[in-house]
Amino acid sequence: MTAVVTSGKRRSTAVWATFALPGVAWLVAFFLVSVYAVMAVAFGSVDPLLRTTVPQWNPLQWDYAAMRNVLDRVFGGDLGHVFVRTGAFVGSALLGCIVVGYPVAYFVARKAHRHRGLLLVALVLPFWISYLMRMLAWANLLQPDGYVNRILSWLPFFDTHRTWLDGDWYTVVIGLVYGYVPFFILPLYATLERIDGRLIEAGRDLGASSFSTFVHVTLPLSIPGLMAASVITILPMCGDYYTNTYLSRGSPRTEMVGNQIDYFLRNSSQPQTGASLVLLLMAFLFVLMVYYLVITVRQQRAAER
Amino acid sequence: MRSSRRDFLARSVQMGVLLGAGVPLLQACGGDTQRTKVSKPIADGLQPEKGPLRIINYDDYVSPDVIADFEREYGVSVEITIITTDSEATTKLASGAIQADVHHSIANYTVGALVERGWLQPLNKSYLTNRGNVLANFDDPWYDAGSTYTVPYTFFGTGLGYRRDRIDPADVEADGWDALWNATGFKGQVSVLDDEREALVMAMLRRGLTDVNTTDQAVIDQALADLVELIDSVNVKVNIQGYQDLPEGTSTIAQVWSADPVTGAINYLPEGVPAEVLGFWHPPAGEYVVANDNIGIVSNAANPVLAHLYIDYLLDNAVSEKNFSYLGYLPALTKLDADYLIGQGYVPEHLRNCVPTSEEIAQALVFKPLSNEGRALYETAWSKFKTGG
Amino acid sequence: MNPFRRRRHGSAPVLAMLTWVYILWSLLPVLIAVRISFNSGKSKSSFQSTSFRWYWGDLNSSVWHSDELHTAMLNTLKIAALCMLIATPIGVAMAIGLQRWRGKLSNAANGLMLVPIVTPEIVFGVALFLVFTQMYTGLPSGITRQVLGHVTFTLSFVVVIIRSRLAAIGTQYEEAARDLGASRLQAIRLVLLPLLSPAIFASVMVVFATSIDDFVISSFLSTGAATDTVPIKIYGGAKGSSTPALNALATVMLLFTMAAVALAALAVRAMNRRGGEPVGAAGGLAGLSG
Repeated sequence: MTAVVTSGKRRSTAVWATFALPGVAWLVAFFLVSVYAVMAVAFGSVDPLLRTTVPQWNPLQWDYAAMRNVLDRVFGGDLGHVFVRTGAFVGSALLGCIVVGYPVAYFVARKAHRHRGLLLVALVLPFWISYLMRMLAWANLLQPDGYVNRILSWLPFFDTHRTWLDGDWYTVVIGLVYGYVPFFILPLYATLERIDGRLIEAGRDLGASSFSTFVHVTLPLSIPGLMAASVITILPMCGDYYTNTYLSRGSPRTEMVGNQIDYFLRNSSQPQTGASLVLLLMAFLFVLMVYYLVITVRQQRAAER
Repeated sequence: MRSSRRDFLARSVQMGVLLGAGVPLLQACGGDTQRTKVSKPIADGLQPEKGPLRIINYDDYVSPDVIADFEREYGVSVEITIITTDSEATTKLASGAIQADVHHSIANYTVGALVERGWLQPLNKSYLTNRGNVLANFDDPWYDAGSTYTVPYTFFGTGLGYRRDRIDPADVEADGWDALWNATGFKGQVSVLDDEREALVMAMLRRGLTDVNTTDQAVIDQALADLVELIDSVNVKVNIQGYQDLPEGTSTIAQVWSADPVTGAINYLPEGVPAEVLGFWHPPAGEYVVANDNIGIVSNAANPVLAHLYIDYLLDNAVSEKNFSYLGYLPALTKLDADYLIGQGYVPEHLRNCVPTSEEIAQALVFKPLSNEGRALYETAWSKFKTGG
Repeated sequence: MNPFRRRRHGSAPVLAMLTWVYILWSLLPVLIAVRISFNSGKSKSSFQSTSFRWYWGDLNSSVWHSDELHTAMLNTLKIAALCMLIATPIGVAMAIGLQRWRGKLSNAANGLMLVPIVTPEIVFGVALFLVFTQMYTGLPSGITRQVLGHVTFTLSFVVVIIRSRLAAIGTQYEEAARDLGASRLQAIRLVLLPLLSPAIFASVMVVFATSIDDFVISSFLSTGAATDTVPIKIYGGAKGSSTPALNALATVMLLFTMAAVALAALAVRAMNRRGGEPVGAAGGLAGLSG
């Protein structure tokens, strides 16, 4: 009996491992190798004439000078501000995504019965116009005589000559929210749509108000979706460098980590510095990811119990 | 549960290290083919190849009409590979990632490295019947002795573009570079070029320092401090969109290349805004930085004869004029001087100074190639400026 | 007013209004981009005057006439479609596998799946460029490499989205199917996959959108005119700058999509009318038990 169970368990492990195998193999072949390439750039050198990267593939000959410089500039130097600013922008934008995206995802997933198809199409329609082009359109909308100011001028108490594109943090945050909220809504929708209606009905039948049902039943059940949506939006935002560039016309006041990475990797003679910044950003983000993983595992275990 | 978490982390690290260590075994050796300088041009009188002619260039940096005309005239097709930076072209060429015949827009300071590393071939001037149309200034330029490997494509000086309807031209003339620092009434409408050397050197020129290739840390630090000042005093922007922002009015004064006001007047003026609103100032000869982009033929070009014919085609006065009318970037041809371009109505009279004169080119300051250490000084300063000071 | 209040069988007017306001907000820049496609000048951010120059007026640079634009658009769509077709199945399988696979190696695989998400896009460009030019030199260049890059970048998104839905589904449906005699694969195919469909839809859209917007990876891995994509043209360069022809191109693509969606909706309606069979998980279960 025990032997049967064990072999069944082993077979089941093998089955699920097989499912995961193509993905794992893909990531090993292309992703891990890429990370190694970034390390080879960060700890490598540069052609003195052509200024092209000369990666150092042998870890024994790695040169850590660029990484040391970057660490100096990040901890207690000017680059530290950029990391903090990036964190603040991304944090605010995530908050914006939740405030804007949650109600929309909730409505589409749970309330919109007749128009759901139409709504889903409308949600993904902006994807057809390139992100960069939509940002240019925002730049148009936010010009001093653009539509945003014209619409605001109908409201009282608004300075109708407000300049939006002057390197203000809120313009960048609005731009980030605008750009990434569709990526937030879709995964959240996929989870919310699944929540068992009977649980909500049960909450209501027990006399809870709909708000209280939402807080005590729907919201907790939607946490996995909220987490997935956040992960999918936060992380690309951390590496974003065109939203702020387009919406502040390159103001140093909105410089994010992504801009510095882009500059050093694409347009300088110090790609090592860019690659070091990348490794550092990845290390920061990895801490966040481990937190996500721990929560996922805990929920999964709880669900199985 | 706690132990499993720790276990997981340990496992991940182990796995990462294992896989990482395996990588060097996977790859034999970087495909770094050290090439040597090519010194022999192609033979005279060869028949052109069938194409397609492959060009590396910035997007929209040559008139599509000119390309179409060339295709028709020679019965070949032309393919343009888009690059976004000068160094991207170098990286891709040197890695063998792209195969090309014509490198359309090489920065001066890159020409030498490409020649030295054998990525350009000498031009056979017997194919370049229109070579005589080029300004004499470029017969023996500092970056390419004897014009062996390149011909100039476009050229431009660095100055200030501004709105004449908002700032009195007399003030800009009087202030010079200081006009940018003095524009405190136009917060947020002031910009510098998104190019570390251009912007830092501007700050040096403002203080009367004309060694534009300095690698003196103190001088660069002072330039950085001067630029940082602009962040608070005028809420400075960093971009190369002056050609668009000035005509559209989102910018009032900007460090620009001299071609920018011209292309702005041709392509970007909103309806009802006259070209008269655009103004340009540049420093006097001797303090004026003038640069140019160059066309060369890649050493392993599959269509070298056709590439020569293409270059010669671009040097034709009429073709160049057509190209200019689309681009607004000045070709380095004797005939297309300020008088001619103004006469033809391309350049408004009040933007005459956007066309550098022969004397200005002769006395121009130029950005020479710096060592990587030298460049790093500029790049680090620039990175600091961009972080907000 | 409480936004979540509703009568038992009524709708949520405030939520509905918020949603429609959001949709208008999200479409406003799209409308502006469409309007700029009718610009007569070269500006992509400011309207000058109306013309069809970028649709067909301009003999070499307009959407109708420019071969370069056609190639770029075809490349963009081709890469996005291939990326979707590869990343989605691998990602779904990986999510299901990782969700159930127990063991020490599985923890490592879980960690591995997450790292790509903490990796800025530009890394994939720079690193894969080196990997392809110095290690995997045997791989065909151009589109193949771009697709490989995009799949690597988007694979983990699929896994994360599918797993959040898997967590919400639980295992009871599949167990029910197994109890009714379905094999493990049957249970997945007939019960789990239909239940996953909203998440698969979300993944497909996220992968697609990421791929057609990607500039960095496509640009680093592009090897010539034949492999340039639309975002590379939009991004422009240090000197030249692209034209509203790109807006016109996007407008045309937008119209095609809307037409395709409308056709699909009609087709689905027609099919539903013909066969009244219920679809989805319930249908799968019903089919098994019957």
